[in-house]
Amino acid sequence: AWDLCTIPLDALGTGVVAWPSARSYSSEVVHMDHSLPNPSWSKDMRLIFDQFMKKSEDGSWKRLPSYKFTSSKRLEEVKIFFPDAKPVKEESLSQARLFPRSLEEGLGFEYAMFHNHVENRTACILQGGPYLQGIPGFLHGGAIATMIDSTVGMCAVLTGGAVMTANLNINFRRPIPLCSVVVINSQLDKIEGRKLFVSCNVQSVDEKTLYSEATSLFVKLDPKKSSP
Amino acid sequence: SSADSLVSRFCPEKTDLKDYALPNASWCPDMLNLYQEFLEKTKTDGWVKLPSFKSNRDHIQGLKLPFGLAVASDKSDWRIFTRCIQEEGQGYEYVIFFHPSKKKSICLFQPGPYLEGPPGFAHGGSLAALMDETFSKTAYLAGEGLFTVSLNIRFKNLIPVGSVAILNVDVEKIEDQKLYMSCIAQSRDQQTVYAKSSGVFLQLQLEEESSQ
Repeated sequence: AWDLCTIPLDALGTGVVAWPSARSYSSEVVHMDHSLPNPSWSKDMRLIFDQFMKKSEDGSWKRLPSYKFTSSKRLEEVKIFFPDAKPVKEESLSQARLFPRSLEEGLGFEYAMFHNHVENRTACILQGGPYLQGIPGFLHGGAIATMIDSTVGMCAVLTGGAVMTANLNINFRRPIPLCSVVVINSQLDKIEGRKLFVSCNVQSVDEKTLYSEATSLFVKLDPKKSSP
Repeated sequence: SSADSLVSRFCPEKTDLKDYALPNASWCPDMLNLYQEFLEKTKTDGWVKLPSFKSNRDHIQGLKLPFGLAVASDKSDWRIFTRCIQEEGQGYEYVIFFHPSKKKSICLFQPGPYLEGPPGFAHGGSLAALMDETFSKTAYLAGEGLFTVSLNIRFKNLIPVGSVAILNVDVEKIEDQKLYMSCIAQSRDQQTVYAKSSGVFLQLQLEEESSQ
Protein backbone atom coordinates (compact mmCIF):
# COMPACT_ATOMS: atom_id res chain seq x y z
CA ALA A 1 0.00 0.00 0.00
CA TRP A 2 3.04 2.32 0.01
CA ASP A 3 4.04 1.96 -3.60
CA LEU A 4 3.04 5.41 -4.78
CA CYS A 5 5.13 8.49 -4.20
CA THR A 6 2.52 11.02 -5.13
CA ILE A 7 -0.16 10.96 -2.46
CA PRO A 8 -1.58 14.47 -2.40
CA LEU A 9 -0.60 16.29 0.79
CA ASP A 10 -4.13 17.33 1.57
CA ALA A 11 -5.12 13.66 1.77
CA LEU A 12 -2.73 13.31 4.70
CA GLY A 13 -4.59 15.88 6.70
CA THR A 14 -1.76 18.26 7.41
CA GLY A 15 -0.10 20.87 5.28
CA VAL A 16 3.28 20.94 6.95
CA VAL A 17 6.07 18.59 5.93
CA ALA A 18 9.77 18.96 6.58
CA TRP A 19 12.17 18.15 3.75
CA PRO A 20 14.75 15.70 5.10
CA SER A 21 18.39 15.27 4.12
CA ALA A 22 19.03 13.21 0.99
CA ARG A 23 19.81 9.52 1.24
CA SER A 24 23.13 8.22 0.12
CA TYR A 25 22.30 6.36 -3.12
CA SER A 26 22.40 7.64 -6.67
CA SER A 27 19.32 9.43 -7.92
CA GLU A 28 19.16 7.19 -11.00
CA VAL A 29 18.54 4.15 -8.83
CA VAL A 30 16.05 5.98 -6.66
CA HIS A 31 14.00 7.30 -9.51
CA MET A 32 13.94 4.26 -11.80
CA ASP A 33 10.37 3.35 -12.61
CA HIS A 34 10.04 -0.44 -12.37
CA SER A 35 6.53 -0.67 -13.80
CA LEU A 36 7.88 -0.82 -17.33
CA PRO A 37 8.88 -3.79 -19.52
CA ASN A 38 12.34 -5.24 -18.96
CA PRO A 39 14.18 -8.22 -20.46
CA SER A 40 12.78 -10.62 -17.86
CA TRP A 41 9.20 -10.00 -18.97
CA SER A 42 7.69 -12.92 -20.90
CA LYS A 43 5.72 -12.53 -24.11
CA ASP A 44 2.44 -12.88 -22.19
CA MET A 45 3.49 -10.16 -19.77
CA ARG A 46 4.36 -7.75 -22.57
CA LEU A 47 1.08 -8.50 -24.37
CA ILE A 48 -1.09 -7.74 -21.35
CA PHE A 49 0.99 -4.64 -20.59
CA ASP A 50 0.36 -3.39 -24.14
CA GLN A 51 -3.36 -4.12 -23.77
CA PHE A 52 -3.52 -1.96 -20.65
CA MET A 53 -1.44 0.79 -22.25
CA LYS A 54 -3.95 0.82 -25.09
CA LYS A 55 -6.74 1.17 -22.56
CA SER A 56 -4.87 4.13 -21.07
CA GLU A 57 -4.97 6.04 -24.34
CA ASP A 58 -8.41 7.49 -23.73
CA GLY A 59 -7.45 8.70 -20.27
CA SER A 60 -9.70 6.40 -18.25
CA TRP A 61 -6.84 4.15 -17.15
CA LYS A 62 -3.49 5.39 -15.97
CA ARG A 63 -0.23 3.45 -15.49
CA LEU A 64 1.20 3.93 -12.00
CA PRO A 65 4.94 4.43 -11.63
CA SER A 66 6.66 2.21 -9.08
CA TYR A 67 9.94 2.74 -7.25
CA LYS A 68 12.27 0.47 -5.33
CA PHE A 69 12.85 2.91 -2.50
CA THR A 70 10.41 5.00 -0.57
CA SER A 71 11.44 8.59 -1.22
CA SER A 72 12.72 10.57 1.74
CA LYS A 73 9.90 13.04 1.23
CA ARG A 74 7.36 10.24 1.78
CA LEU A 75 9.24 9.16 4.88
CA GLU A 76 8.67 12.48 6.59
CA GLU A 77 5.05 12.60 5.51
CA VAL A 78 4.43 9.15 6.96
CA LYS A 79 6.23 9.83 10.27
CA ILE A 80 3.31 12.06 11.29
CA PHE A 81 1.16 8.95 11.62
CA PHE A 82 3.57 6.99 13.75
CA PRO A 83 4.87 9.48 16.31
CA ASP A 84 5.61 6.71 18.81
CA ALA A 85 7.75 4.76 16.38
CA LYS A 86 11.32 4.34 17.60
CA PRO A 87 13.75 5.34 14.87
CA VAL A 88 15.35 2.35 13.17
CA LYS A 89 19.16 2.37 13.02
CA GLU A 90 20.27 4.73 10.26
CA GLU A 91 22.32 2.06 8.40
CA SER A 92 19.41 -0.31 8.05
CA LEU A 93 17.00 2.47 7.09
CA SER A 94 19.14 3.49 4.14
CA GLN A 95 19.13 -0.13 2.96
CA ALA A 96 15.37 -0.36 3.12
CA ARG A 97 13.46 -1.34 0.03
CA LEU A 98 9.82 -1.56 -0.76
CA PHE A 99 9.18 -5.28 -0.28
CA PRO A 100 7.72 -6.26 -3.65
CA ARG A 101 10.64 -4.48 -5.35
CA SER A 102 13.38 -5.96 -3.23
CA LEU A 103 14.57 -8.70 -5.60
CA GLU A 104 16.67 -8.36 -8.76
CA GLU A 105 15.11 -8.27 -12.20
CA GLY A 106 13.10 -11.34 -13.15
CA LEU A 107 13.61 -13.22 -9.90
CA GLY A 108 10.69 -12.01 -7.82
CA PHE A 109 7.68 -9.84 -8.48
CA GLU A 110 7.59 -8.37 -11.96
CA TYR A 111 4.50 -6.20 -12.00
CA ALA A 112 2.84 -3.02 -13.17
CA MET A 113 -0.30 -1.36 -11.82
CA PHE A 114 -2.94 0.62 -13.63
CA HIS A 115 -5.67 2.71 -12.06
CA ASN A 116 -9.06 3.81 -13.33
CA HIS A 117 -10.07 6.82 -11.25
CA VAL A 118 -13.61 6.97 -12.66
CA GLU A 119 -14.49 3.41 -11.66
CA ASN A 120 -12.10 3.27 -8.67
CA ARG A 121 -10.41 0.15 -9.93
CA THR A 122 -6.77 -0.83 -9.72
CA ALA A 123 -5.43 -3.61 -11.94
CA CYS A 124 -2.08 -5.27 -11.42
CA ILE A 125 -0.40 -7.44 -14.04
CA LEU A 126 1.96 -9.87 -12.32
CA GLN A 127 4.65 -12.28 -13.42
CA GLY A 128 5.83 -14.26 -10.39
CA GLY A 129 9.46 -15.29 -10.71
CA PRO A 130 11.49 -18.33 -9.59
CA TYR A 131 12.24 -16.97 -6.12
CA LEU A 132 8.56 -16.87 -5.17
CA GLN A 133 8.00 -20.61 -5.03
CA GLY A 134 5.74 -22.46 -2.60
CA ILE A 135 4.77 -25.96 -3.66
CA PRO A 136 7.40 -26.91 -6.25
CA GLY A 137 6.41 -25.34 -9.57
CA PHE A 138 3.82 -22.98 -8.10
CA LEU A 139 3.63 -19.50 -6.64
CA HIS A 140 3.75 -19.31 -2.81
CA GLY A 141 0.40 -18.41 -1.22
CA GLY A 142 2.21 -15.69 0.70
CA ALA A 143 3.53 -14.16 -2.51
CA ILE A 144 0.00 -13.94 -3.89
CA ALA A 145 -1.13 -12.47 -0.58
CA THR A 146 1.61 -9.83 -0.80
CA MET A 147 0.55 -8.71 -4.28
CA ILE A 148 -3.15 -8.83 -3.42
CA ASP A 149 -2.39 -6.65 -0.38
CA SER A 150 -0.35 -4.26 -2.55
CA THR A 151 -3.04 -4.02 -5.23
CA VAL A 152 -6.09 -3.55 -2.99
CA GLY A 153 -3.92 -1.25 -0.88
CA MET A 154 -3.12 0.91 -3.87
CA CYS A 155 -6.82 1.13 -4.70
CA ALA A 156 -7.52 2.21 -1.11
CA VAL A 157 -4.66 4.73 -0.99
CA LEU A 158 -5.66 6.41 -4.23
CA THR A 159 -9.15 6.95 -2.90
CA GLY A 160 -8.60 7.47 0.79
CA GLY A 161 -5.06 8.79 1.18
CA ALA A 162 -2.92 7.28 3.93
CA VAL A 163 -4.51 3.99 4.96
CA MET A 164 -3.56 0.77 6.71
CA THR A 165 -4.70 -2.79 6.00
CA ALA A 166 -7.11 -3.90 8.71
CA ASN A 167 -8.43 -7.15 7.22
CA LEU A 168 -7.39 -9.34 4.31
CA ASN A 169 -9.48 -12.36 3.39
CA ILE A 170 -8.25 -14.54 0.52
CA ASN A 171 -9.82 -17.63 -1.04
CA PHE A 172 -7.39 -19.65 -3.12
CA ARG A 173 -9.14 -21.59 -5.87
CA ARG A 174 -6.24 -22.88 -7.96
CA PRO A 175 -2.48 -22.79 -7.52
CA ILE A 176 -0.71 -20.36 -9.88
CA PRO A 177 2.12 -21.86 -11.96
CA LEU A 178 5.46 -20.22 -11.25
CA CYS A 179 6.62 -17.76 -13.95
CA SER A 180 3.13 -17.42 -15.45
CA VAL A 181 1.29 -14.11 -15.83
CA VAL A 182 -1.89 -13.21 -13.92
CA VAL A 183 -4.06 -10.12 -13.59
CA ILE A 184 -5.26 -8.88 -10.19
CA ASN A 185 -8.42 -6.83 -10.65
CA SER A 186 -9.43 -4.79 -7.63
CA GLN A 187 -12.24 -2.35 -7.04
CA LEU A 188 -13.41 -0.09 -4.27
CA ASP A 189 -16.78 -1.47 -3.10
CA LYS A 190 -17.75 1.12 -0.53
CA ILE A 191 -16.58 3.73 1.98
CA GLU A 192 -18.04 3.99 5.48
CA GLY A 193 -16.51 6.83 7.43
CA ARG A 194 -12.83 5.90 7.81
CA LYS A 195 -13.33 2.38 6.42
CA LEU A 196 -12.67 1.43 2.81
CA PHE A 197 -13.86 -1.92 1.47
CA VAL A 198 -11.92 -3.25 -1.51
CA SER A 199 -12.35 -6.59 -3.26
CA CYS A 200 -10.36 -8.27 -6.03
CA ASN A 201 -9.92 -11.41 -8.07
CA VAL A 202 -6.84 -13.01 -9.63
CA GLN A 203 -7.31 -14.39 -13.13
CA SER A 204 -5.35 -15.67 -16.07
CA VAL A 205 -4.70 -13.18 -18.87
CA ASP A 206 -7.48 -14.73 -21.03
CA GLU A 207 -9.85 -14.47 -18.01
CA LYS A 208 -10.71 -18.18 -18.37
CA THR A 209 -9.08 -19.27 -15.13
CA LEU A 210 -9.95 -17.86 -11.73
CA TYR A 211 -7.07 -18.36 -9.31
CA SER A 212 -8.14 -16.45 -6.20
CA GLU A 213 -10.63 -14.00 -4.78
CA ALA A 214 -10.16 -11.60 -1.92
CA THR A 215 -11.93 -8.99 0.15
CA SER A 216 -10.20 -6.41 2.31
CA LEU A 217 -10.81 -3.63 4.74
CA PHE A 218 -8.58 -0.56 5.00
CA VAL A 219 -8.74 2.14 7.63
CA LYS A 220 -7.76 5.76 7.10
CA LEU A 221 -4.92 6.78 9.36
CA ASP A 222 -5.55 9.62 11.77
CA PRO A 223 -2.58 11.97 12.19
CA LYS A 224 -3.68 12.84 15.72
CA LYS A 225 -3.53 9.31 17.09
CA SER A 226 -0.50 7.03 17.02
CA SER A 227 -2.40 3.98 15.73
CA PRO A 228 -5.45 3.69 13.48
CA SER B 1 3.17 -43.42 13.55
CA SER B 2 2.59 -41.57 10.31
CA ALA B 3 3.01 -38.21 12.05
CA ASP B 4 6.43 -39.24 13.32
CA SER B 5 7.50 -40.50 9.91
CA LEU B 6 6.37 -37.24 8.30
CA VAL B 7 8.47 -35.31 10.81
CA SER B 8 11.54 -37.51 10.55
CA ARG B 9 11.41 -37.38 6.75
CA PHE B 10 11.12 -33.61 6.95
CA CYS B 11 14.02 -33.25 9.37
CA PRO B 12 16.82 -35.35 7.90
CA GLU B 13 19.56 -36.11 10.42
CA LYS B 14 22.30 -35.84 7.85
CA THR B 15 22.14 -33.49 4.95
CA ASP B 16 24.42 -31.29 2.88
CA LEU B 17 21.63 -28.81 2.41
CA LYS B 18 22.03 -25.42 4.03
CA ASP B 19 19.59 -24.86 6.90
CA TYR B 20 18.52 -21.21 6.89
CA ALA B 21 16.74 -21.51 10.23
CA LEU B 22 19.89 -21.11 12.29
CA PRO B 23 21.22 -18.06 14.15
CA ASN B 24 23.41 -15.65 12.24
CA ALA B 25 25.05 -12.30 12.91
CA SER B 26 21.91 -10.36 11.97
CA TRP B 27 19.76 -11.87 14.74
CA CYS B 28 18.93 -9.34 17.45
CA PRO B 29 19.32 -10.30 21.15
CA ASP B 30 15.57 -11.02 21.53
CA MET B 31 15.69 -13.38 18.58
CA LEU B 32 18.74 -15.19 19.95
CA ASN B 33 17.30 -15.51 23.45
CA LEU B 34 13.98 -16.84 22.23
CA TYR B 35 15.79 -19.30 19.98
CA GLN B 36 17.79 -20.63 22.94
CA GLU B 37 14.61 -20.92 25.02
CA PHE B 38 12.95 -23.06 22.38
CA LEU B 39 16.06 -25.06 21.66
CA GLU B 40 15.96 -26.11 25.33
CA LYS B 41 12.36 -27.20 24.83
CA THR B 42 13.37 -29.48 21.97
CA LYS B 43 15.40 -31.47 24.49
CA THR B 44 12.75 -31.83 27.15
CA ASP B 45 9.25 -30.93 25.98
CA GLY B 46 8.84 -32.69 22.65
CA TRP B 47 9.33 -29.65 20.40
CA VAL B 48 11.15 -30.08 17.09
CA LYS B 49 13.15 -27.35 15.37
CA LEU B 50 12.24 -27.45 11.69
CA PRO B 51 15.02 -27.07 9.15
CA SER B 52 14.45 -24.53 6.42
CA PHE B 53 15.91 -25.31 3.01
CA LYS B 54 16.24 -23.24 -0.13
CA SER B 55 13.26 -24.90 -1.80
CA ASN B 56 10.28 -26.99 -0.72
CA ARG B 57 11.55 -29.56 -3.21
CA ASP B 58 14.39 -30.20 -0.75
CA HIS B 59 11.89 -30.85 2.03
CA ILE B 60 10.09 -33.59 0.12
CA GLN B 61 12.99 -35.60 -1.24
CA GLY B 62 11.84 -38.97 -2.51
CA LEU B 63 8.27 -37.72 -2.79
CA LYS B 64 6.45 -36.03 -5.61
CA LEU B 65 3.24 -34.18 -6.27
CA PRO B 66 0.38 -36.38 -7.44
CA PHE B 67 -0.49 -36.86 -11.10
CA GLY B 68 -1.39 -33.68 -12.92
CA LEU B 69 0.40 -31.35 -10.55
CA ALA B 70 4.00 -32.38 -10.90
CA VAL B 71 5.87 -29.81 -12.91
CA ALA B 72 7.96 -31.25 -15.72
CA SER B 73 10.99 -29.05 -15.23
CA ASP B 74 11.53 -27.83 -11.71
CA LYS B 75 14.66 -25.79 -12.10
CA SER B 76 17.25 -26.03 -9.40
CA ASP B 77 17.58 -22.27 -9.02
CA TRP B 78 13.98 -21.87 -7.89
CA ARG B 79 13.68 -20.73 -4.28
CA ILE B 80 10.98 -20.75 -1.66
CA PHE B 81 9.47 -17.29 -1.30
CA THR B 82 10.33 -16.85 2.37
CA ARG B 83 14.01 -17.50 1.62
CA CYS B 84 14.10 -15.33 -1.51
CA ILE B 85 16.30 -12.65 -0.02
CA GLN B 86 19.68 -14.17 0.56
CA GLU B 87 21.56 -11.39 2.29
CA GLU B 88 21.65 -12.11 6.01
CA GLY B 89 19.29 -9.94 7.99
CA GLN B 90 17.83 -8.08 5.04
CA GLY B 91 14.69 -10.14 4.45
CA TYR B 92 13.00 -12.92 6.39
CA GLU B 93 14.90 -14.16 9.39
CA TYR B 94 12.74 -16.87 10.92
CA VAL B 95 12.70 -20.27 12.54
CA ILE B 96 9.76 -22.60 13.18
CA PHE B 97 9.42 -24.98 16.11
CA PHE B 98 6.74 -27.68 15.81
CA HIS B 99 5.15 -29.88 18.46
CA PRO B 100 3.88 -33.12 16.83
CA SER B 101 1.46 -34.28 19.51
CA LYS B 102 0.07 -30.85 20.43
CA LYS B 103 -0.15 -29.94 16.70
CA LYS B 104 1.22 -26.48 17.42
CA SER B 105 3.91 -24.33 15.90
CA ILE B 106 5.84 -21.33 17.07
CA CYS B 107 7.59 -19.14 14.53
CA LEU B 108 10.15 -16.53 15.56
CA PHE B 109 10.20 -13.79 12.90
CA GLN B 110 12.61 -10.88 12.51
CA PRO B 111 11.76 -8.80 9.39
CA GLY B 112 14.66 -7.00 7.67
CA PRO B 113 14.73 -3.70 5.77
CA TYR B 114 13.97 -5.32 2.39
CA LEU B 115 10.53 -6.25 3.70
CA GLU B 116 9.44 -2.67 4.20
CA GLY B 117 6.00 -1.37 3.57
CA PRO B 118 5.47 1.88 5.50
CA PRO B 119 8.94 3.30 6.25
CA GLY B 120 10.48 1.52 9.25
CA PHE B 121 7.83 -1.20 9.38
CA ALA B 122 7.34 -4.57 7.74
CA HIS B 123 5.00 -4.77 4.74
CA GLY B 124 1.68 -6.33 5.71
CA GLY B 125 2.21 -8.81 2.90
CA SER B 126 5.43 -10.06 4.48
CA LEU B 127 3.61 -11.04 7.67
CA ALA B 128 0.82 -12.59 5.59
CA ALA B 129 3.46 -14.60 3.76
CA LEU B 130 5.08 -15.86 6.92
CA MET B 131 1.71 -16.75 8.42
CA ASP B 132 0.94 -18.72 5.25
CA GLU B 133 4.35 -20.39 5.43
CA THR B 134 3.98 -21.35 9.11
CA PHE B 135 0.45 -22.63 8.44
CA SER B 136 1.85 -24.56 5.49
CA LYS B 137 4.58 -26.39 7.41
CA THR B 138 2.21 -27.04 10.33
CA ALA B 139 -0.51 -28.35 8.03
CA TYR B 140 1.92 -30.64 6.25
CA LEU B 141 3.38 -32.18 9.39
CA ALA B 142 0.11 -32.34 11.30
CA GLY B 143 -1.88 -33.89 8.48
CA GLU B 144 -0.33 -33.74 5.00
CA GLY B 145 -1.97 -30.41 4.26
CA LEU B 146 -0.59 -29.10 0.99
CA PHE B 147 -2.57 -26.24 -0.58
CA THR B 148 -3.76 -23.02 1.00
CA VAL B 149 -7.53 -22.87 0.62
CA SER B 150 -8.07 -19.63 2.50
CA LEU B 151 -6.31 -17.03 4.62
CA ASN B 152 -8.09 -14.52 6.79
CA ILE B 153 -5.88 -11.94 8.47
CA ARG B 154 -6.85 -9.19 10.86
CA PHE B 155 -3.97 -6.71 11.16
CA LYS B 156 -3.71 -4.78 14.42
CA ASN B 157 -0.26 -3.19 14.58
CA LEU B 158 2.77 -2.88 12.35
CA ILE B 159 5.97 -4.77 13.13
CA PRO B 160 9.03 -2.49 13.34
CA VAL B 161 11.81 -3.63 11.02
CA GLY B 162 14.51 -5.44 13.00
CA SER B 163 12.30 -6.41 15.93
CA VAL B 164 10.95 -9.89 16.73
CA ALA B 165 7.40 -11.11 16.29
CA ILE B 166 6.27 -14.49 17.66
CA LEU B 167 3.67 -16.39 15.64
CA ASN B 168 1.68 -18.99 17.58
CA VAL B 169 -0.13 -21.46 15.34
CA ASP B 170 -2.66 -24.06 16.47
CA VAL B 171 -4.51 -26.72 14.51
CA GLU B 172 -8.13 -26.23 15.54
CA LYS B 173 -9.60 -29.17 13.68
CA ILE B 174 -9.17 -31.55 10.77
CA GLU B 175 -12.37 -32.19 8.85
CA ASP B 176 -13.37 -33.15 5.29
CA GLN B 177 -9.72 -33.38 4.21
CA LYS B 178 -9.07 -29.85 5.40
CA LEU B 179 -6.95 -28.53 8.24
CA TYR B 180 -8.23 -25.49 10.08
CA MET B 181 -5.60 -23.42 11.87
CA SER B 182 -5.39 -20.21 13.83
CA CYS B 183 -2.47 -17.87 14.39
CA ILE B 184 -1.68 -14.94 16.63
CA ALA B 185 1.41 -12.81 16.00
CA GLN B 186 2.62 -10.71 18.92
CA SER B 187 5.62 -9.03 20.48
CA ARG B 188 7.86 -10.97 22.88
CA ASP B 189 6.29 -9.37 25.94
CA GLN B 190 2.83 -10.08 24.48
CA GLN B 191 1.92 -6.42 25.02
CA THR B 192 1.46 -5.79 21.31
CA VAL B 193 -0.66 -7.99 19.06
CA TYR B 194 0.46 -7.56 15.47
CA ALA B 195 -2.21 -9.67 13.78
CA LYS B 196 -4.55 -12.61 14.16
CA SER B 197 -5.36 -14.96 11.37
CA SER B 198 -6.97 -18.23 10.40
CA GLY B 199 -5.92 -20.52 7.60
CA VAL B 200 -7.47 -23.53 5.92
CA PHE B 201 -5.34 -26.06 4.03
CA LEU B 202 -6.35 -28.95 1.79
CA GLN B 203 -4.89 -32.36 2.48
CA LEU B 204 -3.21 -34.09 -0.40
CA GLN B 205 -0.91 -37.04 -0.07
CA LEU B 206 2.40 -36.89 -1.85
CA GLU B 207 3.43 -39.98 -3.80
CA GLU B 208 6.67 -41.89 -3.59
CA GLU B 209 8.93 -41.15 -6.49
CA SER B 210 9.26 -44.41 -8.41
CA SER B 211 12.78 -45.78 -8.31
CA GLN B 212 14.63 -45.47 -11.60
